[in-house]
Amino acid sequence: MVNAFAYVPAIVLLPFFSFLVALGAGRYLPKGGAFGGIAATAGSFLLSIWVAAAVAGERAYNETLYYWASEGGAGIGPTDIELSFGVLIDPLSSLMLVIVTLVALLVHVFSLGYMNDEGETGLPRYYAGLGLFTASMLGFVVADNLLMAFMFFELVGLCSYLLIGFHFREPGPPSAAKKAFLVTRFGDYFFLVGVVAVFATFGTAQFAGSESFPALADAALNGSGSVAWTPGGVELQTWLTVVGLLVLGGVVGKSAQFPLHTWLPDAMEGPTPVSALIHAATMVAAGVYLVARMYGFYALTPTTLAVIAFIGGFTALFAATMGVVKDELKQVLAYSTISQYGYMMLALGSGGYVAAVFHLTTHAFFKALLFLGAGAVIIAMHHNENMWDMGGLKSKMPVTYYTFLAGSLALAGIFPFAGFWSKDEILYEALVHGLNDPLLLGGYVMGLLAVPVTAFYTFRMVFLTFHGEPRSETARDPEPVRWNVKGPLTVLGALAVVTGFINMVPVQKVLGLEGIDLLHLWLDNHWGGIEGLSSHHYADLVPYSSGYLVGGEVGTVLVGAAVSLGLALAGLLVAWRLYNVPSPTEHTAKLGGIKDVLYNNYYLDELQVWLAYRTEDVAGGANTFDQGIIDGVVNGVSSVSLFGGSRVRRLQSGVVSQYATLLTLGLVALILVLGLTEGGFL
Amino acid sequence: MSNDDSRSRGRLVPAVAVGLLFAVMAFTALSAEFGFEAVGFPADASIVHNIGYALFNLAEYELGAVPSEGFLAAFLIAAVALDVAVDGAVYLAKREEGGSIVAAVGEALTDGGREGGERQ
Amino acid sequence: MTAVASSIPPEWYLLLAVAVFCIGLFGVLTRNDALYFLMSVELMMNAANINFVAFALFYQDLTGQVFALFVIALAAAEVAIGIGIILVLYRNFGVTDVTVPTEMRW
Repeated sequence: MVNAFAYVPAIVLLPFFSFLVALGAGRYLPKGGAFGGIAATAGSFLLSIWVAAAVAGERAYNETLYYWASEGGAGIGPTDIELSFGVLIDPLSSLMLVIVTLVALLVHVFSLGYMNDEGETGLPRYYAGLGLFTASMLGFVVADNLLMAFMFFELVGLCSYLLIGFHFREPGPPSAAKKAFLVTRFGDYFFLVGVVAVFATFGTAQFAGSESFPALADAALNGSGSVAWTPGGVELQTWLTVVGLLVLGGVVGKSAQFPLHTWLPDAMEGPTPVSALIHAATMVAAGVYLVARMYGFYALTPTTLAVIAFIGGFTALFAATMGVVKDELKQVLAYSTISQYGYMMLALGSGGYVAAVFHLTTHAFFKALLFLGAGAVIIAMHHNENMWDMGGLKSKMPVTYYTFLAGSLALAGIFPFAGFWSKDEILYEALVHGLNDPLLLGGYVMGLLAVPVTAFYTFRMVFLTFHGEPRSETARDPEPVRWNVKGPLTVLGALAVVTGFINMVPVQKVLGLEGIDLLHLWLDNHWGGIEGLSSHHYADLVPYSSGYLVGGEVGTVLVGAAVSLGLALAGLLVAWRLYNVPSPTEHTAKLGGIKDVLYNNYYLDELQVWLAYRTEDVAGGANTFDQGIIDGVVNGVSSVSLFGGSRVRRLQSGVVSQYATLLTLGLVALILVLGLTEGGFL
Repeated sequence: MSNDDSRSRGRLVPAVAVGLLFAVMAFTALSAEFGFEAVGFPADASIVHNIGYALFNLAEYELGAVPSEGFLAAFLIAAVALDVAVDGAVYLAKREEGGSIVAAVGEALTDGGREGGERQ
Repeated sequence: MTAVASSIPPEWYLLLAVAVFCIGLFGVLTRNDALYFLMSVELMMNAANINFVAFALFYQDLTGQVFALFVIALAAAEVAIGIGIILVLYRNFGVTDVTVPTEMRW
């Protein structure tokens, strides 16, 4: 029986080869490298399914493939360190592989309709970028140590920059690409410091195994082991919290949490399939995936968990409020993405590891669906994204409409679509652990408040786009879309409906059925996995205890579900009343000054620019120091030499008698020196 | 004249240099230990004859009373050097005037002639 | 026969030679006119001659005196060439002042 795990590198390398093919030979290929990309991602998808099946067959895989520095350990710093590339296949990573490859495949197919059929130029560059991105993301998913994860993290950021700035001849996209790159880079700086700190403290950055850094940290904290190094005078728990927060910097940047969320709405300047793949389903998931991967480490430090939960809950509400007033289709979806990743961070911070991964899965599908649906609408509307010019598209684009509606229902969290189950589980975990922890309870309240806001802006978007009367010529006569657009939409639409059923925890708890929480079992190494990376191990480490409301566990489940569903339906009803009319008006204008604040994103972009200018002033001081003092010293040395030289050269006057005088003086000096040193004379 | 020239330039540094040199060398000379008893040449020896014998390498035959080394080779070389010096001086003294060469001697012996010298 | 004794100790001969040398050196360093310069060089050479002759007396060997002869001869040769050079200098610069030709300077 062929070992499936031997083909894991192929999962990463196939899209990389499609990148090379598109880059080198793209202009000779009929579709600019699209078929290569489709073939590569399809191959990776099939391999991922096979690998996942192998994991389900009671095996997991943690193997170092290549030592690129100091094999055998070289004494760098306080400990011996080996730097390597390896793969780690366990339930979490195999699940993520399937998700990423599936979404990448569907986006590649969709790109045939969005890019090729629309007559875009520069397609080889586009498909090369997609291929490199897919390869980098898959490499990140299978990484077995933190340094390798960091490298692919950065590569993914690079591909995001390249793809956002695809239409670089216009003014908007290059600026947006720069902003995305710089903001995420700012977070990645802290991540890098964290990676180095992990190496210095533990001597290893492996995620799994008995010698992995989460295991070492756990052993050190409960006294059965020790770490190689801590900075002088700092207690171990505090230091581990600091390290966790440093790595969290990269996560906050990449997953667009407050305050590093400002790049994501601008990233919508890129082509819509890029937004679907990168900025909805995969790249922004990298941050959350990283926390889940390192959860054994994060679970040891309650402060970090509290920070994660609070940031998550706050971002969820904060971004949702901004999504309410936006006029462009993709902007609403961008803020929705920020908000939903806030939910995942809230789950992770509350100890809901499975809930976070569940929401990651369902969100990947329904957000990609929504973005692709938006792409179909944009094709139809000849690239006009303003929702106020749309309307009445539901009769002209039925497939798009129904799939988009499925995605919206999932996003809003309406029973029985996928989003309901995952969001409900997040809120349940936050509530249950938050009853004994006020900070978590604050996060829960914010997450709960975001639910009706989410439903409201989602359905405002749906009604403005598809319902009512068409408000412009393009809306009356939209461009038709082909199978390569509708196909991925249908696949994702189906997934948006059924994915929720893989983990119906409320049903399990209320009806007492065992074994239908499939995802929970999957992540608990029920079918196979790596020791120490299971969800019950994390549950043991997490310092939260569960509290329940009236009625015990079952009652809490029902109350929580009812409250969140009720709020979601309330938001939907408000949107229905305001916007599901033939000619909706801009009701958000009635908010007056608040609307301006929300529309300008709470002026956070201006704040960041202001901060950049202050940094420039500080840098100006450093520049003055460098030019004045450091360069001054160097120039001073040279000017001393020049000055000395210009004076000494005047000895050469051209008058021989003066040379003779110098000779005489030299002779006198020589005689004196010789006489005095050789002795006997003076 | 030259006295004015000397005084107009700074003479202090050369004077100091020379003074120092004189002081050092005088001190060396006066503090040196010589192992000579009072010596001199024989009273009746003819110094000049003996110098002549030395120049022709005849000193080794003990013709005179005063010993010396043989200097025949040096004598001949000095003769050659003097010869070269005369030729060099004459050559350096030749002038170019109006496109042709005029020797100092030629001016003195001719009657002045025409411009351009002998050739025309 | 008895040697002609010298009642002057040898340091004084050396001192005389040093003094003459320093006078000649001072002339070399200070004189502007090229012909005076040559004269001062002659002085320096004669100071050395004094030394040669003095030590010929003290070593009772005529080598020193013969050497002095050769020095005089070669000094003459040198002056001959020197005068020639001064002639060329005069032709190019118009004066025999050694401080005038200062092309090889900074």
